[in-house]
Amino acid sequence: MAGAKNEYEDSKLSVWLRESRATPALPSRFQENVWRRIESTAAAPEKSGNWLDALAALILRPRLAFAGVALLLLTGTLLGAQSGVQTARHAAQMRYVAAVAHEFTDRQ
Amino acid sequence: MKRSLLILLAALALGAALFAGAYFAAHRASELCCARPADDLNWLQLEFHLSNAELARIRELHEGYLPQCAERCARIAEKKRELDALLGSGTNATGVPVKQAEIAALRAECQSNMLAHFVAVSQAMPPAQGDRYLAEMKKFTLGAHEKIEQSMSGDCVHEHSH
Repeated sequence: MAGAKNEYEDSKLSVWLRESRATPALPSRFQENVWRRIESTAAAPEKSGNWLDALAALILRPRLAFAGVALLLLTGTLLGAQSGVQTARHAAQMRYVAAVAHEFTDRQ
Repeated sequence: MKRSLLILLAALALGAALFAGAYFAAHRASELCCARPADDLNWLQLEFHLSNAELARIRELHEGYLPQCAERCARIAEKKRELDALLGSGTNATGVPVKQAEIAALRAECQSNMLAHFVAVSQAMPPAQGDRYLAEMKKFTLGAHEKIEQSMSGDCVHEHSH
């Protein structure tokens, strides 16, 4: 008897809760918009944008940017100086060879 | 994302410009700094680590050799002009082989004097450096002609003097 009464009250409570829950009206074409967003997300994944953004943010850090500039300048200067010395050395060698053997040197 | 791509491209361009600028500036500066030494023999002293005494001996040989070399070259040039004149006139074809033989003989003489000079210079150097000098000089003087002859005739190398 008591069990039947409880069951009756539970179902009544459920009905009452269901009725009291506010269900706001969905905006017009809600479902269509949701699907459109899902499709556009699937077509262009955000991942590539993420690593590009991360890399851009990384190189814009002042300390890293200055270090990069210094490294490039140093490497360029060292390699350029080495290549310039070799060019000058080769030119001096060619001058000597031309002086002692200009009738027989390779003039290609 | 578009902004990030622009930043990366700009950074790449800036980095390339900085590297290229530094490279070419340093190249030019060191080329100007090392170029035009006092004379042709400075290269020999640097390259073959010669002492001042060795360089003085080589300078003596060099200065003795150059006028003879210039004289032989002037004679070869004169013979070449005569050959050109014969070829241009087209009337005296029989004289052409004679002139060619004269030029070849002068070149052979010039070459043997040049090789003798290289040997003398190499002997004025420490033995290891002297060997290296001879090998370098052979590469620049005789090597070029050998390459041409081999490329033109395959395995069979024609005998022609110069």
